[in-house]
Amino acid sequence: MSLRVAIIGCGKIADAHAAQICRIAGSALVAVCDREELMARQLADRFGAERYFVDLDDLLRGAMPDVVHITTPPQSHLDIARRCLEHGCHVYVEKPITINAREAQSLIEAAEDAGRRLTVGHDGQFSPAARRLRELVGGGYLGESIVHMESYYGYDLSGDAYASAFLGDSNHWVRRLPGGLLQNVISHGIARIAEFLHGADPYVFARAFTSPTLSDRGVKDVLDELRVMIVDEANTTAYFTFSSRMRPVVNQFRVFGSRNALVLDETQQTLVKLRGTAFKSYVERFVPPIIFAREYIANAGRNARLFMRNQFHMEAGKKNLTEAFYRSIVEKTAVPIPYSQILLTARVMDAIFEQVGRVVPC
Amino acid sequence: MNAIVGSDEPILVTGSTGFLGSRVVATLLDHGFSSVRCFARPSSRLRTLETFLLQYGSRVEIVQGNLLSPADCDKAVRDVAVIYHLAAGMREKSYPDAFMNSVVTTRNLLDASLRDGHLKRFVNISSFAVYTNRDKPRRDVLDESCPVETDPAGRGEAYCYAKVKQDELVTEYGRKYALPYVIVRPGAVYGPGSTGITGRVGSGAFGIFLHLGGSNVIPFTYVDNCADAIALAGLTSGIEGEVINVVDDDLPTSRRFLRLYKRHVRSFRSVPVPRPVSYALCALWERYSEWSEGQLPPVFNRHAWHAYWKGSRYSNAKLKQCLGWTPKVATDEGLRRYFESCRQRGCDVA
Repeated sequence: MSLRVAIIGCGKIADAHAAQICRIAGSALVAVCDREELMARQLADRFGAERYFVDLDDLLRGAMPDVVHITTPPQSHLDIARRCLEHGCHVYVEKPITINAREAQSLIEAAEDAGRRLTVGHDGQFSPAARRLRELVGGGYLGESIVHMESYYGYDLSGDAYASAFLGDSNHWVRRLPGGLLQNVISHGIARIAEFLHGADPYVFARAFTSPTLSDRGVKDVLDELRVMIVDEANTTAYFTFSSRMRPVVNQFRVFGSRNALVLDETQQTLVKLRGTAFKSYVERFVPPIIFAREYIANAGRNARLFMRNQFHMEAGKKNLTEAFYRSIVEKTAVPIPYSQILLTARVMDAIFEQVGRVVPC
Repeated sequence: MNAIVGSDEPILVTGSTGFLGSRVVATLLDHGFSSVRCFARPSSRLRTLETFLLQYGSRVEIVQGNLLSPADCDKAVRDVAVIYHLAAGMREKSYPDAFMNSVVTTRNLLDASLRDGHLKRFVNISSFAVYTNRDKPRRDVLDESCPVETDPAGRGEAYCYAKVKQDELVTEYGRKYALPYVIVRPGAVYGPGSTGITGRVGSGAFGIFLHLGGSNVIPFTYVDNCADAIALAGLTSGIEGEVINVVDDDLPTSRRFLRLYKRHVRSFRSVPVPRPVSYALCALWERYSEWSEGQLPPVFNRHAWHAYWKGSRYSNAKLKQCLGWTPKVATDEGLRRYFESCRQRGCDVA
């Protein structure tokens, strides 16, 4: 594998991309680009990129990257990604892929027309525990079908510098997204559900409101509590919860099959099996806790082994996704996230924002 | 005082709602300046500034905006003769955020002041964090001649990186555009209202307080003394292009500070870490971080150890000589006030 990689947009998330690109054998961060020259220069300076640019066309012509990571605000994703694809680059777009499903569809078509590959930064699905979940589901652990899913995504707005920045600035790009804060943060939680839904047009019911935490701070126009119910054409159901108030701050996915269930905790990187059968009588009250204890100890051991093997970085999911994407480019195999899943995630998000009072521009 | 500006000329203070910035505003008003413009983010709490407004009336002007916006910068610097630039990305852990809120904002402010054309002095508030004493022996004097970190990213501290780059930018503007600037580098600013214990004393990050400072002298400066020094740096003639450190007299050792803190604020368990052990741990952490490609971020490393825990002596000779500064609040009194405030507010040590 030998890929020349560039990053467009040199803000906070670009650091995480640059760090993982530098860890992937055979890839090289050759250039970075930001309209603000100082920002481009600092990223190039710290990660050893050969060149930095302030103009996208100059970057594409001057650095000739094979892959471009787009880490600008989502409002600009479609335009920038199209220009990169037209220039023959493969594109990794940070989440959310675009500001609505129509744009996402248009971007996927542009990638297919250009014969180039595209992926989106749903890296939570590629963390070590999430990959184990996928293996178990693929191996039939849940039974013949998935019955129900619950996805929880918590976000602590109290001490976060990023949260302070957008809460204090009514003109911040997060607040100008059609779905506001929700659009910038719920992709991971929705994408987990979308991976296991059937069909392209599920029923979505959503309610959102502003928490007292934000209201008390005088922020009335940011929705930070969201509850969603989803039903697909096979009657697989799902609940999605986003909350800035719930404690502990959880990032969890529960998936119930017709035989067994699995509980993934993304923050703790644990995956717990819930067996579908019960012991008789009082045995059910004594043995399962011991089984759970054993499960958690096994998770701790697995995490320790991954740490010892140097495979347990905080951004392990991003590295795994990036590596899988690069491999798909070099080996000309399927992209790590099917386009149908990317689109379904975008459609569910559109349906949510339409219902919670945010207008999706068309 | 032989000031470079008249008392009616407009003065701008950025970061004016902050712990130190609000004291700088108060000091300037005490000096009799009649047009002090306070720049604050829309999200900042304006309680202190509103108190000034009530007390000093039209002598104080509050301008809200974002230094990332060139238009807001133009509005802030209009007709201004002195800029005290205290706004910075202090608590940012991310490099891009710290850089954007320190360097990009400074560049915007400098460009705006060049466009405006009334500037007589730009006071850039830097930090002791930019210095490296790596090649100096222990207990050597750290003063303005000490070199600045040449590999600021290697310190593993976004604030240090951003401040080094901010200082470089200001110096570059001084050279290229004859910008009249002074760089002020305060040590550890403390006083009523500041939170926690400086990392130079130790860290509570691991659940127990590790006392790393030992017998090192801590470069404290009481907030009002520091505000005085900063105010003077904007007014005193003949110091263009100078760098001035700010520390108080009679500095306590880390051990003495911790003992007093425990006695006057609250008692807690601390584990003294001998200097060779802290060095070895930092070196080990740094090596592991490199080897593991950042599985543990390089927050503890030898660069940081030299800067914070090796131990230096500090001088305020230049501060006294150039600005005629003397500390109005003695260290013992400053510490008493600080401890009292901590006790009342129930401060955490972490």
